Amino acid sequence: MLSFALRRILQALAVLAAVSAAAFALFYAAPADPARAACGPRCDTGQVAAVRASMGLDQPLLTQYTDYLTGIVAGRDIQDVDGSTLHCDAPCLGYSYRLHQPVTEALVDHLPVTVSLAAGALAFLVVFGLGTGFVAALRHGTRTDRLLSGFTLIGASVQIYFLGYVAQWGLVYTTGLLPLPSYTPPATDPAAWAGGMLLPWIVLGFVNSAVFARLSRSQLLETMDEEYVRTARGKGLGRLRAHLKYTARGAAGPLVQLLGLEAGALLGGAVITETVFGLNGVGRFATEAVEGQDLPAVVGAVLLAACFVVLFVALADLVIAWLDPRIRLG
Amino acid sequence: MTSSSATAPESDAAASTTAVPATGPVPADAASPPASAPAAGSPVLSVRDLSVSFADPRGDAPVHAVRGLSFDLARGEVLGLVGESGSGKSATGLAVLGLHDPRTTTVTGSIRLDGQELVGAGEQALRRVRGGRVALVFQDALTSLSPFHTVGAQLAEMYRLHHPGAGRAEARRQAAAMLDRVGIPAARTDDHPHRFSGGMRQRVMIAMALLNNPDVLIADEPTTALDARVQDQVLDLLGELQREHGTAVLLVSHDLGVVAGSTDRTLVLRGGREVESAPTAALLAAPREPYTKALVGAALTLDSVPGTPLPTVDDPSPAPRPTPRLRSGAAAAGSGSATGGRWLVEVEDLSVHFPGRRRFPGTRSEPVRAVEGLGLRIAPGETLGLVGESGSGKSTTSRVLAGLQPATAGTVRYDGLDATRPDRALRRRLAKEVQLVFQDPYASLNPRRTVAQTLETPLRLHTALGAGERRQRSAELLEQVGLPADHLDRYPHEFSGGQRQRIGIARALAAEPRLIIADEPVSALDVSVQAQVLNLLMELRERLGVAFLFVSHDLAVVRHFCDRVAVMHRGRLVESTDRDRLFAAPHTDYTRELLAAAR
Repeated sequence: MLSFALRRILQALAVLAAVSAAAFALFYAAPADPARAACGPRCDTGQVAAVRASMGLDQPLLTQYTDYLTGIVAGRDIQDVDGSTLHCDAPCLGYSYRLHQPVTEALVDHLPVTVSLAAGALAFLVVFGLGTGFVAALRHGTRTDRLLSGFTLIGASVQIYFLGYVAQWGLVYTTGLLPLPSYTPPATDPAAWAGGMLLPWIVLGFVNSAVFARLSRSQLLETMDEEYVRTARGKGLGRLRAHLKYTARGAAGPLVQLLGLEAGALLGGAVITETVFGLNGVGRFATEAVEGQDLPAVVGAVLLAACFVVLFVALADLVIAWLDPRIRLG
Repeated sequence: MTSSSATAPESDAAASTTAVPATGPVPADAASPPASAPAAGSPVLSVRDLSVSFADPRGDAPVHAVRGLSFDLARGEVLGLVGESGSGKSATGLAVLGLHDPRTTTVTGSIRLDGQELVGAGEQALRRVRGGRVALVFQDALTSLSPFHTVGAQLAEMYRLHHPGAGRAEARRQAAAMLDRVGIPAARTDDHPHRFSGGMRQRVMIAMALLNNPDVLIADEPTTALDARVQDQVLDLLGELQREHGTAVLLVSHDLGVVAGSTDRTLVLRGGREVESAPTAALLAAPREPYTKALVGAALTLDSVPGTPLPTVDDPSPAPRPTPRLRSGAAAAGSGSATGGRWLVEVEDLSVHFPGRRRFPGTRSEPVRAVEGLGLRIAPGETLGLVGESGSGKSTTSRVLAGLQPATAGTVRYDGLDATRPDRALRRRLAKEVQLVFQDPYASLNPRRTVAQTLETPLRLHTALGAGERRQRSAELLEQVGLPADHLDRYPHEFSGGQRQRIGIARALAAEPRLIIADEPVSALDVSVQAQVLNLLMELRERLGVAFLFVSHDLAVVRHFCDRVAVMHRGRLVESTDRDRLFAAPHTDYTRELLAAAR
């Protein structure tokens, strides 16, 4: 177990190093000149050169990269365009010249929205996806099965910007069943938080649940034929209890794996959902950074998303190993 | 909890059943079905006119697995239900427990457990029967025990399901006591099934089945997945517990050998119908029906005459071979005129290691030593049997000889040339002259290619025949293995398992090999089909003079088919000698143990 965790962490660090290098390379491959973008349109060539120097962009590439990595581990001092120096604390992902704010700070500001959105959507995804998958598998081959499969197929084929607006129109504006989507910090007012996030949760969860529902149906169907499930029934266990205790456990592996990937992806920012519902999360932050040619912010957001994916995939592996004692970690 | 006499379930409901003595074989005249008289009192299980049919998923005509079967099972009796695949024996066992899927399966007739009708009984009633009064042991304990729960937990669950008042601690205590009874120490109750050997797992399965002291135990191929030695131990344990508890047992098996030693009475099934039923000893000694005769004759024992054609269902009493095959390795090598007395294959000091798991990054792993210091020789035209239990390294050895697995150390010489580092020419020769026949005839033929395509590939690779000639040669090959030539354009799924194995043999013969490596070629086949395929192999061997490396775990088959036998154990050669010498006077304790288990 310990050696597994150790190897997994080394692996994760390697992946993150590769992602950071790629993101950093993007910084330079991009057509935009970060110095010109930071300086603004009215700068002359001399001013741009000065800004470039203050941003450290005149340094060799490797030096910049090592500075960047050092910043992540230990923090560093950064010069703003106006020449003032400020300290950027330990996980320093650079400095946004557009926002005049360290990238880490800006990301932390946007993170609660994204975490709330992702957590709720995942909860909906699990409950709804697993539920429909389980019922469809139990009623395999019947009309219920076909109906549920069709319903989840709608989720897979519909676009979130379409479903989002339709749901908002139907559930908020026309009927007033749900409050207008908005973000209230849960610490301030938990009810308002849940109410404001409910519609985004449902929409994002539903759209992402199709694959999960289909996979859980096929996994459960496959596991139902396992001999240990037949043994469980032969012991005198009822059908439902046998399936809940044995079939579900046997089917869990790939589902947990998928869930790990989904969680990582959603925490990296759900751009479209955030845009549709006017939520100011990491996804919105990233799109705005791209539009504003704010490359440090873009690289920071990319790294954060990669971190989440790597973390949750590793977490999923641990859960799978815990669920199935046959899997030897190491 | 270490006391071996602690039989867990005795505390509650044992009084009614433990008093019943074990039943010996019933008199022969009482055997006519379905009135076969139970030994004492009313039968505990009474099956009348049972039919089981499965609806075809594509809506075609239903498949009738069991048709009008009737039998009685007396208290404490052991009844063998024998048949080949598709005979309906497993379907019968599942029907007793009502475990068929009601949406796809129709069960009619009557199954009475102590007078209580089980066909059409409600789910609640059936759940009390399952695991409480009728328990099941399946073939493969690895797949039928839950891999996710400890063996102790699985037994405890079984106990609590039928003792609603019992607490967790009580259930755990009972589970541990029962595991102890079957020889699983208390310290291992918290282990998961995959940590046990095959035999231990089947002990766990048996312990679980008998935990609630059921009236009837249905054992569906309980030892088929086990090595012969372990098989014996498990059957002994089953018999011991059965006598101790007075449980009636329905022993479902395809293997007459298993049934012979452990049942009172045997019922032979074919196509869902009863063929005949009699006390086991009488049935084996004097089978009445031709099918039973063939089945008994086809089942090889260590007493059958080696090399003789085996009786089959179509030909129950084949003509004996005109000249007995007599060959010893040395004699064959000496008389091999074409090769000037050379061995065809010489293996010296062969070792094959597989990389083991690394525990920490950068640490060195301990390799798995599959084969260690092995030496073998095969003369031209000779058949060498390679025998061993699972994991002994016999398949790895055969893979090295086939050129599919590089050797870690040692040499393999083919026709005097170094085959571990073959040049182009030798590699071409090996590809042509060494052919393979595999165990599973379902997995080893490409389902998307017709028989003609399968047979013509080696012809195109290894001969200069034109398209028309290849087709004609394929037809000849097919006829050579006893299949009509007009089957050439069929696909593998249109053939039965035995026919597929014939196609696999025809494919091996296409390149006109000098050595055929056959890895368990008849293990996946039913007894009567096994006899047909063995007959075919013996005939071809005689006609074509091919040498065989015949890998098998089945000593009776090896004794019947092979000239010389090499015994492997844990990657090493234990002994290697002439067939007759090995079976008459084995040199090592290990071989003696193997032989004793095969008796």
